[in-house]
Amino acid sequence: MITPDTAPPLRPPTSPLRRLLGKQPLGLGLSLPYIVFLAAVMAYPLAYAVYISFFDYVFTAPGMDMDHPFVGLENYRTALTDPRVLQSFGNIAVFLVINVPLTVILSMGFASALNAVTRWAGAFRVAFYVPYVTASVSLIGVWMLLFSQDGLVNTILGPLAPDPSWLVNDALAMPSIALYVTWKQLGFYILLYLAALQNVPKELYESASTDGAGILQRFRHITVPGLRATTMLVLILSIITGANLFTEPYLLTSGGGPDGASTSPVLMIYQKGIQQGNPDVASAIGVLLVIGVGLLSLASTRLTKES
Amino acid sequence: MTLTRRALGATALAVPLTLAAGACSRSAVDAAQAATTRGPIRVWVSNNEQELAWGEAVTAAWNAEHPDEQVTLQEVPAGASSEEAISAAIVAGTTADLVFNASPAALPDWVRAGGLVDLTTFEGGREHIESRTGQRARDYAEDGGQGGYYQLPWKSNPVMVMFNKEIFAAAGIDPESPEMDTFGTFLEGSRQIVSSGASASAVWPAPTSDFYQPWFDFYPMYLAQTHGTLLVEDEATTFDSPDGLAVAELWRAMYEEGLAPREESTDDAMTMGTTAMQLAGPWAIATYKDQLDYGFMPVPSADGIAPEETITFADSKNVAMFSSSRNRLTAWEFLSFATSEEWDGKLLELSGQMPLRTDLLATYPDYFAEHPDYTSFADQADRVADVPYLSGAIEIWQRFRDEFSASAIFGKKSVADGLHDAAEQIDQLVQKGAR
Amino acid sequence: MRSRTPTRIALYVILALAALVFIFPFYFMIVGALQENPTTTPAGMFPTGGWTLENFASINERLPLLRALLNSVVFTAGVLLGTLTFGLSAGYAMSRLHWRGRGVLFVVMLGVQMVPFQLLMIPLYVQVAGSYGLGDTYAGMILPFFINTTAVFIFRQFFLALPEEMFEAARIDGASELRVLWAIAIPLVRPAIATVVLITFIGPWNEFLWPFLITKDASMQPLAVALANYIANIAQTVANPNGAILAGACALALPVVILFCLFQKYFTASDIGAGVKG
Repeated sequence: MITPDTAPPLRPPTSPLRRLLGKQPLGLGLSLPYIVFLAAVMAYPLAYAVYISFFDYVFTAPGMDMDHPFVGLENYRTALTDPRVLQSFGNIAVFLVINVPLTVILSMGFASALNAVTRWAGAFRVAFYVPYVTASVSLIGVWMLLFSQDGLVNTILGPLAPDPSWLVNDALAMPSIALYVTWKQLGFYILLYLAALQNVPKELYESASTDGAGILQRFRHITVPGLRATTMLVLILSIITGANLFTEPYLLTSGGGPDGASTSPVLMIYQKGIQQGNPDVASAIGVLLVIGVGLLSLASTRLTKES
Repeated sequence: MTLTRRALGATALAVPLTLAAGACSRSAVDAAQAATTRGPIRVWVSNNEQELAWGEAVTAAWNAEHPDEQVTLQEVPAGASSEEAISAAIVAGTTADLVFNASPAALPDWVRAGGLVDLTTFEGGREHIESRTGQRARDYAEDGGQGGYYQLPWKSNPVMVMFNKEIFAAAGIDPESPEMDTFGTFLEGSRQIVSSGASASAVWPAPTSDFYQPWFDFYPMYLAQTHGTLLVEDEATTFDSPDGLAVAELWRAMYEEGLAPREESTDDAMTMGTTAMQLAGPWAIATYKDQLDYGFMPVPSADGIAPEETITFADSKNVAMFSSSRNRLTAWEFLSFATSEEWDGKLLELSGQMPLRTDLLATYPDYFAEHPDYTSFADQADRVADVPYLSGAIEIWQRFRDEFSASAIFGKKSVADGLHDAAEQIDQLVQKGAR
Repeated sequence: MRSRTPTRIALYVILALAALVFIFPFYFMIVGALQENPTTTPAGMFPTGGWTLENFASINERLPLLRALLNSVVFTAGVLLGTLTFGLSAGYAMSRLHWRGRGVLFVVMLGVQMVPFQLLMIPLYVQVAGSYGLGDTYAGMILPFFINTTAVFIFRQFFLALPEEMFEAARIDGASELRVLWAIAIPLVRPAIATVVLITFIGPWNEFLWPFLITKDASMQPLAVALANYIANIAQTVANPNGAILAGACALALPVVILFCLFQKYFTASDIGAGVKG
């Protein structure tokens, strides 16, 4: 395993342990609990999921021997030719297109506004964070009442209310969920932006102000560039959490209704893998989803770096 | 150099991984030994109040007599997710010894996974099941009724049409004799209910995509219409037929004309009076007895069938023994004890649900004399059919629901196309499952 | 900041309107939970009568609320403990120490974030309940959440932002690596701890699927599972289902919201720069 060390002679001599583990072996020690944790509760089940996506697989009770023949890409073919699966990927694309930009714009805007005011800032922050700290199970009941056919929103809109109503309208169900999730998660992203804003030097604003730059110009020329690293983080995190959408179509639109217009890939994984006992196809959908999210995150990293 | 470094990094991560994976071995139960062993057992029951009370009573009675074979009761949450929790427990080998309240739709898959014990392997097992439930028990057996029983058909909730008498009266329908037993009169009556303003909708089944929703809209009417033809028989779907079409067309008309809302109710629509009818089992009596003046009628069919000949959906829940059980003899003895005439009577008394026994009315005459409300259900309980005994049944019902939803509920395609497409997909799945 | 008055007023108006939109569903929830018959008309938003505590009383009758609350506290405390010790040390090691495998671990960590939990659920359940025999235990409930990866990520970001000179100085003074972590890094990262506590806390507190799967014993169920079950199944059988649902939602939301409001000043943006300069 160990190749002869051909490091430049300038380096101080190192002990074998250091050669093996790096300059500060303590790092491995400190990370070990986390590494074991990742391996035990993430890596192993994940490897298992990837493995079964290539087999004709069902879960069995202990002691039950069953053939799990290798089927190559058959499960992937099944997943990709199922119109419901394709529909779920289409739905999540709609979701991301609405949710991600809205999240970035609103959270950056509100965070900057919160940063600029002094009075009542605490109260405003509480208002924005409260949906984030509350369980979805609690909030979904409220949203169902607000957005149902005879709910408050439609009552206020009167003749302008959509027909069919929000959550049973194929064109509006997914956007409604996207709005709900934006509302629910925004506090978290505002928190991230607020933290980052403390590192944007105040002097920059002050000198810009003396130069006569208006509030919007300062936002555009100082705030936005100063927050680039955080924007990348917010983009990636909102793409990841968005792509893993599950609770909302599961509860808010009762299993991805109307007629599958709000199913998400993770809901499909749940239905196929856990309800219907087809973990092989479900795993294939999962693998495709993880690859897709990985590519999207990479792309968004590139995008923020370049712009 | 870089390669080695990476390899080392990967190894550092891989060691704990192998450790974690290596710890993963599940021990199986020695079936032959377990079959003759007695000892303490765990039993899962549904968490609704009435069934829990029954469970507590029956275990207390048993425990008093069997100090060395104590039974512990645990609650399995009711609702859609209980099957998922049980499936996962089967794979992990963490199931209890018995479950009271298993859906027959999920059971065949548990058999395939090796999660259940064939009850006919116990002495007197087959006799107990077949003498208790009669000929209908065969619908729950392996190999088209010829093989073993991995479940004891326990109780049914025969589906009937419950209606609000006040709303019917306000709509000008005679609540004592609504005469809505054909699809034509059902539709006509529904229009009358809505157009008269008596109620905002005629009937309000959940229009959601859950796989089990057909059991409370399409399927009871389909069973009535076809005199008990199951969704799938002899490894082929049956519903892509004039009968299936007639039922689906009725629902399409109901949804299209707004007689049945396309959105799930946020309230209990019966209590709030926002709907006049619902398809329900005897459990509904306990729920609504103080809230509204209700009546029951058999589910309708295309041309009307006499009530005493109408077959409906059983919505049964059954008892099964898990292969994780180490004291199977006790489990079996407790199972027969809890499904004896006495304890079935107690179940009826406490929950109003119908034990899957032959001739309920003659077996428990006192109960039905005191509770005349339940008599129509007891009578109906003799004429029920259930879900077909199929592996992959949940996926099959989901496919059916998806197509029904697209065609009958949301009108995206014609009902004929919807049923046809569903039949095509399900036939494929049935073939695959039968393989 | 010296903004001109009109823009300041505009800022306040926008923030106030947005805050109203954010808070309104909570108002709706509380008012509805206290009503005999919640309605969804605009007039119903400002009820003048029909107040009742019945909806809460009926939850209390059906659920062991205190026991469920205790279970939630234990579950959450376990996760917080794991994250604040092992998560913090991993975040430190991944940002300030050089060792082999660090890069791989970081990539793995990012990858883990992308994997939906539902994909891992059954293998994980088999492992935790079957192989480790941890069904119906707090350990089994806590295990998959023990170290919150987002928290590790945030710790890493915070440690990275600290200037290297402070660490170098300590090392030159002969401080051991552990001493550097304890005496320098942890005090500096204190502001981040509040944020991490917040994001870690809400995970297990609101988690529903996993504890539902792992607990068969009703006395082990945390509040979220008990109330979700109440909202989904039991609320439909009571006289005022909407009131019951909203009351259930309140009972689940209120402890967190109250805790959050009490401690909100600690969740202000953490000013690392000031800490370093001061």
